[in-house]
Amino acid sequence: MAPMLQDEGSSSVTSSPLQLFSMMSLSPNLGSPYPFVRELKSEERGLYLIHLLLTCANHVAAGSLENANIALEQISQLASPDGDTMQRIAAYFTEALADRILKAWPGLHKALNSTKLTLVSEEILVQKLFFELFPFMKVAFVLTNQAIVEAMEGEKMVHIIDLNAAEPAQWIALIQVLSARPEGPPHLRITGVHQQREVLEQMAFKLTEEAEKLDIPFQFNPVVSKLDNLDFEKLRVKTGEALAISSVLQLHSLLASDDELLRKKSPLAPKNLNGIHLPGVPQINQSTLGELLEKDLVNGHSRSPDSATSSPQSLSASAKMDGFFNALWGLTPKLMVITEQDSNHNGSTLMERLLEALYSYAALFDCLESTVPRTLERLKLEKMLFGEEIKNIIACEGAERKERHEKLEKWVQRLDLAGFGNLPLSYYGMLQAGRLLQGYGSDGYKIKEENGCVVICWQDRALFSVSAWRCRK
Amino acid sequence: MLENMAEEALPNGFVENPIAGSNPPASKKKRNQPGNPDPEAEVIALSPKTLMATNRFLCEICGKGFQRDQNLQLHRRGHNLPWKLKQRTSKEIRKRVYVCPEKSCVHHHASRALGDLTGIKKHFCRKHGEKKWKCEKCAKRYAVQSDWKAHSKTCGTREYKCDCGTIFSRRDSFITHRAFCDALAEETARLNAASNMSNAVANNINYHFMPTPLGPSMAQHFSSIFKPISSNEEAINQTTRGLSLWMGQGSSQGQESIGNNNLHGIHQLGSVSSGTIFGDPLVSCSNPPPSDYQLNWVFGTKLSSSNAEELTVSNSLPLTDVKEAGTQLLSVPSLYSTQHQSHQTPSANMSATALLQKAAQIGVTTTDPSFLGSFGLKCSDSQVRDGNKLCGVLYGTSNPILSTNIGNDVENSAGDLLQVHPAKRRHTMNEESGGGGQTRDFLGVGVQTICHPSSINGWI
Repeated sequence: MAPMLQDEGSSSVTSSPLQLFSMMSLSPNLGSPYPFVRELKSEERGLYLIHLLLTCANHVAAGSLENANIALEQISQLASPDGDTMQRIAAYFTEALADRILKAWPGLHKALNSTKLTLVSEEILVQKLFFELFPFMKVAFVLTNQAIVEAMEGEKMVHIIDLNAAEPAQWIALIQVLSARPEGPPHLRITGVHQQREVLEQMAFKLTEEAEKLDIPFQFNPVVSKLDNLDFEKLRVKTGEALAISSVLQLHSLLASDDELLRKKSPLAPKNLNGIHLPGVPQINQSTLGELLEKDLVNGHSRSPDSATSSPQSLSASAKMDGFFNALWGLTPKLMVITEQDSNHNGSTLMERLLEALYSYAALFDCLESTVPRTLERLKLEKMLFGEEIKNIIACEGAERKERHEKLEKWVQRLDLAGFGNLPLSYYGMLQAGRLLQGYGSDGYKIKEENGCVVICWQDRALFSVSAWRCRK
Repeated sequence: MLENMAEEALPNGFVENPIAGSNPPASKKKRNQPGNPDPEAEVIALSPKTLMATNRFLCEICGKGFQRDQNLQLHRRGHNLPWKLKQRTSKEIRKRVYVCPEKSCVHHHASRALGDLTGIKKHFCRKHGEKKWKCEKCAKRYAVQSDWKAHSKTCGTREYKCDCGTIFSRRDSFITHRAFCDALAEETARLNAASNMSNAVANNINYHFMPTPLGPSMAQHFSSIFKPISSNEEAINQTTRGLSLWMGQGSSQGQESIGNNNLHGIHQLGSVSSGTIFGDPLVSCSNPPPSDYQLNWVFGTKLSSSNAEELTVSNSLPLTDVKEAGTQLLSVPSLYSTQHQSHQTPSANMSATALLQKAAQIGVTTTDPSFLGSFGLKCSDSQVRDGNKLCGVLYGTSNPILSTNIGNDVENSAGDLLQVHPAKRRHTMNEESGGGGQTRDFLGVGVQTICHPSSINGWI
């Protein structure tokens, strides 16, 4: 290995060997490095990409945008959404970083995004692809359904609220299981919440068709709404019915809040960006500078209260989440099953989130590379689902940043504080889930059990967690 | 109130038999449980001859037989014979239920009549008929041809073999056995100790997703589904223990993963064609199969690549894709065998996870401790930019702890990569007063540690 710094102790850290190297790396467009770059083997290229990504992220976090730009330029030579796993990941992460940089110029950012077309059909397709190409949703559905079936043994009137009613498969399976109950099927009501009416209509059609086929008294109530402003009255929960709530990958967006920006009060003027002083405060810089001042670092803890670190005490406060939990608790559900991403993508600093996200999405992209051929569908899934999540995690702050994934232990704490008690998932459900995973044709998928909850992993990286809860009086 | 039954009754209907019982709620076509007929239905008693007869409608010209009169009439058109299709006799459809002519049979009474003509025919043959159809491979005999066909499709195709050598034809008994089997426990322990080799799943044995119904009665079957496999406490404990093979080895070993490779030699893949769902011909119920059904039909198996391309963009949600998935045979698993350990794949196409781990290791192990120590001295009174927990380790503790971070979370060790950077950057920022920071310096540090010097030095 090449020798490290020659002169560590001196104050002129920017001295020769490193400066020389960094100057070399600053001139990528002189043509000569290209052949060398192209000759990099996949592993070397991957390692180099990681390094460049981290470098770029550091620059972005520091606000040194010229350097970030240079790093981006270099990465763009190597990254590609069509290449191998690391190339793809790098492509989406750099897009996210670039987006973040661009937000420093709000007008520019808005202008560039103003004509973006978001087709509802494509969004629906992407969700469908996620359901098909991965077993995660299916495992979540199997576990949820089994928990519901067991909780509703003996119940005659069952009401299920689905906080993201997009995939009919889950409830079709449940309807089939319920219709085969020895005591006969219950009277079943499903209330589906979704933002798009078409999705709910399709769901209603499929479910009603299935229920009629099996002769189950069934009712589907669509509620077109975002979760943020869900009117709980519309859910029409009646007395005397047994209520179950199913939430698949929905709750984390409720953790989004503007609090962290409001709390940061930095006495320093916003850092000049390339000499241009922007009257509108670039919020990124302010927050990073603010972090500089607020953290007590020697002890390595006691961050500002809204950061989600791995220390078990600090839970980021979110009035929205609390309000939502309260409302749910007020419905006194017999059962609530929650599926969430099991990764810490809610750190308060960019670097924290970026590092965690690198590992999580590396696992997801690896999983795709190992199990799905490089088709257009896979690319769409990677771009429109993961790419967008990564962009949100990296480039957005405050209320805009919706993908606030947190580790299971944090959700357990939150739910406990909100008055819910954990219900261990049944062995039989886990058995079914395990079988399903094995049938999926790759032995990279694994299931772990953690205090009654289930964590679905790819090659030892925890990706999703499923847990069941009841109302604690 | 009593029903009239005759041995040679014609299927023209009899006195209806109102049976005391709750009326079914007025919904659309409600289907009763088998053997519990609609009290207002018309009870029809057919003779054994009628039940067993096939093709009772004969064409007088060519002698061809038909099961239904309508079909015969349509056939007669071909002979230019006069034909007449009978209309429905009454406007209202009277639900018909059928009783079994065998006096000793449960279904002989109108209160336990069966609702389907085909059903009663099959029932009569199965229970009271001669078993004329014989399976070639095993000794089983069947009275109904369709039962025989269904059996011969699956006979011998699904065999589960435990490591201890016992062979099972049914998946549920196989699973139960494995939970208890001692030989398996030893095997698991042995394989857990070995390194994690990834295997292509054996695909020469089919894996039957659907459990065939257990006992003669559905009640027992359901209880076995909803309770973990068996119904007595001891068995449950054992099952729990056995399932611990799946779930992990208990708290002593921390959390292990289900689906360890040790189980893969045993597990098999399977087809999920609907023909296998009702594999056991002795079960006469017509209810859809219980909880595992959700695995089989709806969630099924993974799509093969060709199916992925069939997912078209359209406004209607294609649930049919899910159905297709449910009936797809599993793709060859060897396509999906993965090798994610970096020590196993020295060549190109390492997984991204392995790359990250390698980068983290390189970043930490090649860092000169004295170099870091000097940074610690320099920067102890400045503020760390970000990832304070990462940098806190660097600055708050001594170096030996840093180097042991490799053993900790991978995230932390990846973060160690950055510990050099903020130090440098901060240092620079202390010098400069906030102009656009020319902080290229730390680029060099990282690159030299992480990337292969041979290729990068090619640049220089």
